[in-house]
Amino acid sequence: MRWETQRLEKAKQIIKMYPQKRSALGPLLYLAQDKDGYISNESIVEISSLVGITEVQVQSVASFYSMYKQEPTGKYLLSVCKSISCEISNSSEVIESVKEFTGLSNNETDDQNLFTYESVECIGACGGAPAVQVNYETIEGLTPDKAIDLCSWLKETEPKVIVADELQEKFGGVKSFDWAIEDNTGTSSPVPGFQTYDTLKEKK
Amino acid sequence: MSDKVTFTVDGKQLEGKQGQLLIEACEESGIHIPRFCWHKRLDPVGMCRMCLVEIDTPRGKALVPSCTTQITDELSVETESEVVKKAQEGVLEFLLINHPLDCPICDKAGECPLQDQTMAYGPGESRFIEEKRHFEKPIPISDIVLLDRERCILCARCTRFSEEISGDPLIEFIQRGNKTQVNTFPDEPFKSYFSGNTVQICPVGALTATSYRFKARPWDLKKVSSTCNCCSLGCSVELNVSQNKMLRILGEDNEYTNQGWLSDKGRYNFEYLHSTNRLLSIHSKENENFENINISEANEKITKKIQELGNPDIKFIIGANSTNEEYFVINKFANLLNRNEFLGKDNSNVYFADDHISNGYFGDQYENATFEDLDSSDAIVVWAEDIKDNLPVLYLRIKKAVKNGVKLVIFGHTNTALESLADLYIGSEVISNNFEIQKELSNIKELKNIINGKKVTTIIGKSTPLQQKKSLDTLIDYLQKVSDLKILNCFSKANTFGALQQIDQLKGLNEFCTEYENSKKNIVFTIGANPVNASFFGSQIKDILQEADYVISLDIFKNETTELANLILPTTAFGEKEGTITNMEMRVMKQNKILPDPGSTLSEWEYLVMIAKSLGEDINYENVSEINNELVSQYKTTVNLPTFDNLNKPSNLFGILHEKEINLNTNDVEKNNISLLMVKRLYGDSSTQINSQSISMLGSERFIELNSITLNKYGIQSNVATLTQGSASFFVNIKINNFLPDNLVIAPINRRGFEKLDPTKEFDIKETKNMKELSVN
Amino acid sequence: MKETILLTKHMRENPEDSHSLKSYEKNGGYKAVKKVLKSGSPEEVLEEIKDSNIRGRGGAGFPTGVKWGFLAEDEERYLVINGDESEPGTFKDRILLERDPHQLIEGMMITCFAANISKAFIYIRGEYAKPARRVQSAVEQAYEKGYLGKNIFGSSMNLDIVVHLGAGAYICGEETALLNSLEGRRGEPRLKPPFFPAVKGLYNKPTLVNNVETISSVPWIMSNSGKDYSNLGVEGSTGTRIFSLSGHINNPGNYEIEMGSSFGEFVETLGNGVKNKAIKAFIPGGASAPWLRGDQLDVKMTIDDVANEGSMLGSGAVVMMDEDTNLVLAAKSLVSFFAHESCGQCTPCREGTTWLENILERVASGRGRISDIDLLLDVCDNISPGLTWPPKMTTICPLGPSATASIVSLMKDFRSEVEILLPKKVVIS
Repeated sequence: MRWETQRLEKAKQIIKMYPQKRSALGPLLYLAQDKDGYISNESIVEISSLVGITEVQVQSVASFYSMYKQEPTGKYLLSVCKSISCEISNSSEVIESVKEFTGLSNNETDDQNLFTYESVECIGACGGAPAVQVNYETIEGLTPDKAIDLCSWLKETEPKVIVADELQEKFGGVKSFDWAIEDNTGTSSPVPGFQTYDTLKEKK
Repeated sequence: MSDKVTFTVDGKQLEGKQGQLLIEACEESGIHIPRFCWHKRLDPVGMCRMCLVEIDTPRGKALVPSCTTQITDELSVETESEVVKKAQEGVLEFLLINHPLDCPICDKAGECPLQDQTMAYGPGESRFIEEKRHFEKPIPISDIVLLDRERCILCARCTRFSEEISGDPLIEFIQRGNKTQVNTFPDEPFKSYFSGNTVQICPVGALTATSYRFKARPWDLKKVSSTCNCCSLGCSVELNVSQNKMLRILGEDNEYTNQGWLSDKGRYNFEYLHSTNRLLSIHSKENENFENINISEANEKITKKIQELGNPDIKFIIGANSTNEEYFVINKFANLLNRNEFLGKDNSNVYFADDHISNGYFGDQYENATFEDLDSSDAIVVWAEDIKDNLPVLYLRIKKAVKNGVKLVIFGHTNTALESLADLYIGSEVISNNFEIQKELSNIKELKNIINGKKVTTIIGKSTPLQQKKSLDTLIDYLQKVSDLKILNCFSKANTFGALQQIDQLKGLNEFCTEYENSKKNIVFTIGANPVNASFFGSQIKDILQEADYVISLDIFKNETTELANLILPTTAFGEKEGTITNMEMRVMKQNKILPDPGSTLSEWEYLVMIAKSLGEDINYENVSEINNELVSQYKTTVNLPTFDNLNKPSNLFGILHEKEINLNTNDVEKNNISLLMVKRLYGDSSTQINSQSISMLGSERFIELNSITLNKYGIQSNVATLTQGSASFFVNIKINNFLPDNLVIAPINRRGFEKLDPTKEFDIKETKNMKELSVN
Repeated sequence: MKETILLTKHMRENPEDSHSLKSYEKNGGYKAVKKVLKSGSPEEVLEEIKDSNIRGRGGAGFPTGVKWGFLAEDEERYLVINGDESEPGTFKDRILLERDPHQLIEGMMITCFAANISKAFIYIRGEYAKPARRVQSAVEQAYEKGYLGKNIFGSSMNLDIVVHLGAGAYICGEETALLNSLEGRRGEPRLKPPFFPAVKGLYNKPTLVNNVETISSVPWIMSNSGKDYSNLGVEGSTGTRIFSLSGHINNPGNYEIEMGSSFGEFVETLGNGVKNKAIKAFIPGGASAPWLRGDQLDVKMTIDDVANEGSMLGSGAVVMMDEDTNLVLAAKSLVSFFAHESCGQCTPCREGTTWLENILERVASGRGRISDIDLLLDVCDNISPGLTWPPKMTTICPLGPSATASIVSLMKDFRSEVEILLPKKVVIS
């Protein structure tokens, strides 16, 4: 499927921000992922002509970075941290409970296209280990039980927008630092919610 | 400041050049440092880490890659210390942990840098007990290249070649870390004119060629150096033969010409040599049918025919694949027959079968350029047929020069592949679709800025046979006036320049048609030429050959021209004959023989000498070096003559530049209104290509190119259409090329059937709506 | 022991809206840059930074003033803020980005003024979605107010800032890999030489690459003075630093302190100690740093003191591991991290880190061999010859050698934990 006009316009705007077209490749890949939940070959072709490099060059860059997904992801991308601070704070148990609840192993997506599970390297939430991200929104101080609560809540309510504050309050525990600033924004697809890409969504 | 640098390696004082890389400087002094990723012609990346050496730094000894370290005065290097040896062993162990041990069935085994260096520098055993990385075994990434990712050691030579050298990055690293692999994009195969170079420079058996796969073991190969004849660039090659079969052609690194690279055409256009379609016996047409006859019967027929016809007019149409020695004999033979008492004529009667030749720019008032001049010029000005398709390695040389800062100016509408590299593209605002200059060149400010007072090399020749030479003259006059100009006359076919040097006066097919007189008795020799196909004059020549009293064709395959011959004499081909050729710089180079004469073939000169003798002429050569000896005595200079002996000397491996008077006499086509621009593409329907299995299909696609505005004018939405002209009708793919001017449609000239198209007549393009319209003539 | 609050002052005192331009200005923000633009000269700024003796906060600890001084002359030069914070254990830049983005922007403005730069980028790791959008909002606010763009504060200075997200690659924290990433390429480190960013950086132009914390310190330095800053901390490690404390600790978090006190003091007072347990080992400066033992808690938290112990203060991430920690699994986690994050460019790192991971996996799950200890150490040695710290390298960048740090620590100080997992030598008599 070709990109819709709006997305193409966004892409052209982003390209203009950089002294050289190719620099926009990263942002454009996020636009692609926002569209399909992963970097499809069709999007690669589209980006290749927008940026002026060959398809395989786009693919080469896309496949280098772990946040550009090569397979379709579910509505909620569950990324459980397993790096050192989380590892020594029982992240393996959180991982087990998420895997058990979703029935998924690493980098798998369920048949309903609801969850994709992955264990990931450090997400910079070490003070609140173990930590997890849902569509790149961070929840800290998780326990195996709270992780299951989080998953079942996502499954039951299927929120349109994932907001870190809300999830932290409902399911989180110890935090890296106080999150005093209220924030009502998040993301609705497995990409970082970021205004430049139009992937930032406000929870109504 | 002196550009000499003195440095120390393993206690020995060595000299090198300022800025030179350590690995290269060591190599020049006879010290070999092992490496995988480093390649002299590619930018260093320091990735494989095999070339680590120890150097002294202010903070003590440090391990550095010698491929990224520049030599400096006082640099002290150790290449064999314990630390270095340990590092080398370590790197090899790392490379081998995931490398499959399928050497017994690997094409590369026996000439494999990984194998050789493991033997020389590697650990004796592996401590790796886990499972190796697995990928699907070889996957085709194009029609001619296969990829085995398990064997790949990720040296990035192929990816760098395609990005830096050929400029078509279609092969890349995918994934990262331990999962990194080389691959192409799913729907975009490795469709490069130069893909074979990656096979040659791959240090393992990861990239292999379909044409060579499982064909031979390297130690069984017989090898000889030679010069490619696919275009007039003169790439140095190494011919590899086993059991009298050519199995592979490799590029040799000739600093002056190809610098190691070859086009895929030059590399893979050899299987035809062993094709069952080769002409291997003499055919004589008796009652509309060809019959095999022997050599003495053939000789008798010719002699009899010449005498029987009384005072026949004898004309020669020659192709570009003969050696200088063969042209020399053709010239002598043509002269003898013409000046012979009972023929009594003194006219030139040798015609060259390439419509692109023009009188060119030869002689004292012009300075001839070499390829090296491209690198040392300030600017390169190109107005010629498509360089990438017709002189592919020259395209690489231009690209390299541009990368190093030389400015590039492109004229006209044929070199669209070079446009993306060009600093200035002089297109439809200045040059009409008919290739006429419509604007005073001195008024083009951008052009002036680039060339005025500068060292300029121009590559100049007709973009299309229909281009008038006066437009080229205008450009050359202007460049002569404002810049320090050197000229590369751009005639792209194989040994065109050899023909120009050896034939006293060469003419074109235009002259052949106008000078041919029906009223006379006529004998026509075609020698390695197929003028009926792929010439603007094809249909006229067809009529002439049908009308002529006797036609003798010397060739390696039957073709549209030999079909019209009364007698077909099978000749030897590339690799089967020894001789010299002259490239477009006037560099004389050696072609060597490594294959026996197949069937009852003879060299062109052997036939001509035999015929001349039976006509009573005093012409006698026992072998080709005798011809060469006589030939070289006619060159202007006396030092370093291009004799076989001299050319076989290692110091002259790269050819000898030789000037010789050129006498070319051809006229423009009068009717020159271009409606359809016919351009020769690299791959096409030549008999050598279609008889070379690996590349036979590469020139089969029928397509036209036009820009999107022109496409819209025809109202075409899809990417397929029907091209019609008169009674000819073709189903064609549409390629959008927005570098083209409006209202210009380009079609490849060397496509089966396209010889029916007349570039001066109207045509139409219609969208193809149903399969019924796909009928092909 | 107490914190010394400079960089985190504004965010602490204004927890409701420290990210807003309004709050930042109300509390004295953008005054430093206004002053500099009005009456300062680039040379003066550079002098102050040099006087402050501030060293880069990304990990390598290179003197910032010297780095600025190296920037080659060119019409086009760039500033790139390294906000790719991905070193396990580190989460300090996250608060600076999320809670005080204007402090960073002001620091960038001053830096660009000093270095005559008119285009700057903030490269933030993709997983920091929330910090990134706070920074993006702040940049937009600054543009609206005319603090960014053309003729800033009526001066001749122009500055454009682009916020750029990474996409999951630790290696992009390495400055040249970051530049490749920002150019839309694979995040592979470039060769030095010739690609020193100060000479051939972004788009081959001279480029300053500085850490978020480093540049966030600039407004304080310019509001006060380089000398004031250098009076804080100790010689060689001046000013304050934000340490990220995590692991087995009662009060994990970010703490801004002057360098010079001991790890023990830090853990006991600010970290409120370890939950009734003894410390077996700790990481003094992020996942790349060799471990220190529990009996080394008295080591002082300065760049040089930690270096003298054969490790590094690195990114300022302190991870505590108590006596119950399975150090083999800890090492395996660290090695897996580096194997996953290896770019794959050079052979020893690409092949070696994964091999180490595989061997450790085998050992940890009881499938080890007696020879595995020697094998692990020798594979490490083939990546980092001599196994010293700072490491010697057979690799292009320090990522591969970093992967060996935990294994070497494990074998040096805690070998029995590995040996117990291996089969016993059986002597048949």
